[in-house]
This record gives sequence, C-alpha cells and structure tokens, in this order.
Amino acid sequence: MESQIAELTAQVAALQSSAGVTNTGFAEVFYYLSIPLMIIIHAGFLAYEMGASRAKNVLSSGTKNLLAFAFMIPTFYFFGWWVYWGFPTGLTFSEGPNGISGAAYANAIAWGWGESAQYMGPNVADQASGVFFGAFALFAATTASIMSGSVIERIQTVGFVILAVILGSFAWVVAAAWGWHADGWLVTQFGVHDFGAAGLVHAVAGFFALGVLINLGPRIGKFNADGTANHIAGHNLPLTVIGLMFIIVGFWGFLMACVILPGEAWSWYGHMPSTIYGTPITFSALAFNILMAIAGGIIGAWVMTKDPFWMMSGALAGIISTASGLDLYYPALTFIIAFSAGVILKYCATWLERRGIDDAVGAVTVHGTIGVYGVVLLGIFGSGFPALGGDAGVPTITLYGQIVGAIVFVLLGFVPGYIASYILNMFGMLRVPAGAEEAGMDTVKVPAQGYPEGIAQSAPPAE
Amino acid sequence: MFPYSEASWSVVDGAMFMGWGTALPGITTLIAAAICVFVLVVGQSSEAKKSSKF
Repeated sequence: MESQIAELTAQVAALQSSAGVTNTGFAEVFYYLSIPLMIIIHAGFLAYEMGASRAKNVLSSGTKNLLAFAFMIPTFYFFGWWVYWGFPTGLTFSEGPNGISGAAYANAIAWGWGESAQYMGPNVADQASGVFFGAFALFAATTASIMSGSVIERIQTVGFVILAVILGSFAWVVAAAWGWHADGWLVTQFGVHDFGAAGLVHAVAGFFALGVLINLGPRIGKFNADGTANHIAGHNLPLTVIGLMFIIVGFWGFLMACVILPGEAWSWYGHMPSTIYGTPITFSALAFNILMAIAGGIIGAWVMTKDPFWMMSGALAGIISTASGLDLYYPALTFIIAFSAGVILKYCATWLERRGIDDAVGAVTVHGTIGVYGVVLLGIFGSGFPALGGDAGVPTITLYGQIVGAIVFVLLGFVPGYIASYILNMFGMLRVPAGAEEAGMDTVKVPAQGYPEGIAQSAPPAE
Repeated sequence: MFPYSEASWSVVDGAMFMGWGTALPGITTLIAAAICVFVLVVGQSSEAKKSSKF
C-alpha cells in the first residue's frame, strides 16, 4: 500500500512538472508570437505613410519609418525597459505595494550590465524577460510610428529619430509605468484603467505629435494666405488603406500582449488570464469587442465621409475609443462607442486643421483625441468596477480618475514633444530647408527611385 | 455599473461586463441594430441621389 501511494505521489509530481513545462512553454511562445503580429502594425504604418506621401517623398517617408523602428529597439533595451520598472511609484523611485517596481528592482532586472544582465540575454532559467521585453519594445515602436506619419514630407531624419526615441523609449514608458502597472500611482491612487492603452500609448503618441507639429510647421502649400487649408493628396491612397488594414491586423497582437497568462511565477492567477492590473479577462471578451469596435468605427466614418481613408481610420478609432475597457464593455455598447468615434473623427481632424496644424495623416485626431475620448468614456460607463485584482478595498474606476489619467497622458505626450522639437528647431535639426522640401525629400536624401518607370503601362500579354 | 454587490473581483464567477443583470445589454443591442439600419437607409438615399446625376 505504501509503495503504491509513493508511486502515485511520484506520478502526480511528474504530471505537475510536465504541466508546468507545457504551461511555461505556451506562455513564452504566446508572447513571442505577439511580436511578429505587432511587426505587422509597422508594415501597416510603413505602407500607410508611404501611400500618404507625394511621389517625390515616398521613399524618404519609408526610410524615416524604418529608422524609427530600428532605433526604438536598442534604446528601449538600453534604458526604456528600466524606465518601465523604475518609475511606477512616481519620481520617488521607491518600491510599490506589489514589490515589482522602483529603482532597486529595475536595477536588478533591467540593465544590460552587472548582475541584472542575466535577465537581459539568453538564460535557460528565464523564459519570460525576453518575450516581455520584445512585446514592450514593439509597443514603443508603435508610438514612434504614430508620430511618424504626421510629420512626413518636411522633417529632418536625425531630428525625427531623436524625437522618436524620446517618445518611444521614455515618454510613453513613463505613462505605462504610472498607468499600466499594478504599482503605478495612477492605478493605486486614482483607479485608472486603460487595458488596451488608449491613453498611455495612443493619446501620449498623438499629443507628442501635436507638440512636434506646432514647432515643425505645415508643409509648403498646405495653407493659403487667408489661413484656409489645401488638401495635399498622397500619391497612393489604396496603399494607405491597405496599410491601415495591416495596422488593424497587428492590433490583435498588440492586444493579446496586454493579457497576463495564468500559472507562472509572474502571473496574477493560476487558473485564469488577467489584465496587467490583475483584473480578470478572457480572450473571448477581446474577440467580441475588438470585432465590434472595428465594425462600428468603419460604419460611423462611412456614414459621415464615404472616404475609404477615413473609414479605415475609423476602424482604428473604433478600437482606440474602446481600448481602455475592451475587457469590460458589452459588445453592443462597444459598437455604439466605436460608431460615435467614427462619426466625430473627420470633424475633429478638420477642427485641428483650421487651427493651422498640418497633420498629414490625422494621427493627432485618431490617436490623441480619440485616445482621450476612450479613456474618459470608460470613466462614465465603467464607474464602480474594481481597477485592480484582489479582495475588497482596491480602488475602483471613476470618471474623476479617468479624467486625471487622461490629463496626465496628454501632458506626458505634449510637453516632451513640444520641448524636444523646440530645442531641435533651435539647433536647426527639425525641418529641412524650403528648397529641399520643394525638390522632394527623395531627391535630397535617398539614392534610389520609388517609381523609376513612372506608372508604366503593362507589357502586352503572351499569345 | 459593476454587476456585483461587492466591488471586488474575488466575488465574480460569471458574466462581468457593464450592465449585466440589467436591461442595458438589450437596450444597447437594439440601439446598435438601429444604427446599422439607419446607416443603410441614409447610405442608400445618398448614393441614389448622387447616381441620379449620371
């Protein structure tokens, strides 16, 4: 009898070990696969931005976008990852209530030297740090791409890269530490809830872009002497629209990476997935709500504009307007909110244009304005929901808290964007000279032609 | 609009969306469906008006 019990105990232990190995492997691969899905976002932004450029600027816009991505990864490795873990409790850099934040914690896991380097490179005992780093680095690259489209056709390449690094490896990371971390002060003190990063990614990036656009100024020919605006059409609207659809595809990777899987040492729960705040979530909730958001946004933009550019922007706006509460909304409510975002989108962009801002792709509106809209709306509809996992007594979502969060996100974007671009402008590193802009950025910067044969006629078919 | 009496996730064992247990899901579903129909009516009217010029 005793030997049978011992044998059964050994078998149970072996099964538990095997299940643990399977769970760990699944979790690692899950986040690993979110990375190429999020790279599809960048394929989308690349196509979107190149299509929105005039033919004389098409390759330089692509070059700029590729460089933003390329510089984001190493700079996020050098210091962005540290910022996320070091900043949650504010400028005190002290340890938060969950013990996973503060300067000491960040020093131990997020520098590429000394003892902490063991978590920043290949390590058979650590199957989490690399994939989490990768997912966050791609969030960072998304912020840079958001800003990238708005400044096309007149910005200097190096100045742009510096701005992208400030946004992607610092500004949005501070917002994430404060509002997208269980120890973040916006969460623990104000109950801010922003599951899908409407505020801390989209609003931060959108308002960073606004700060830059004020100093950068409009493209030559955008505004007339009386202040009225001219439409500067991109050279390939179909490419832009397809790029937007790629961004939508990539968003599924972005949003799956916002979920914390169960059963690991770093998980909130052993039996169910959670948000980054430790509140429960299901992938079914995401499937319901993301699809309804895309549909609502497209329909809202169609009824107001009939323009495929704004319809696909409406799809983005639909997701962004509901992103904060994709874990909590009822799908029909998601549809209504997304529809409303699609309806107001073009008007918000026109309002901004009338104030002399030349945002070439509407990024300030789609990501900034609609991001704020989404964060605040969750305060109206989601008021009373616990903002953190755990027992009673945790902070709850409130309209006041969401407004505070939205204001902080706007400031974390706008202020660094304005100041950094102002300084770059002082040093002549922000805008290309007028002659270069008129000649076309490809002629000035790129030793290749986008369309060497023009739009050539097809060769005759074979007989 | 948390659908449980205690504001804690530890008491949640089922549906957890806004308005669960109230009329809100039905009302929003009705509104969403009405939006779809309204948009199609407006879209048809607008397209027919434009097409008639050709």
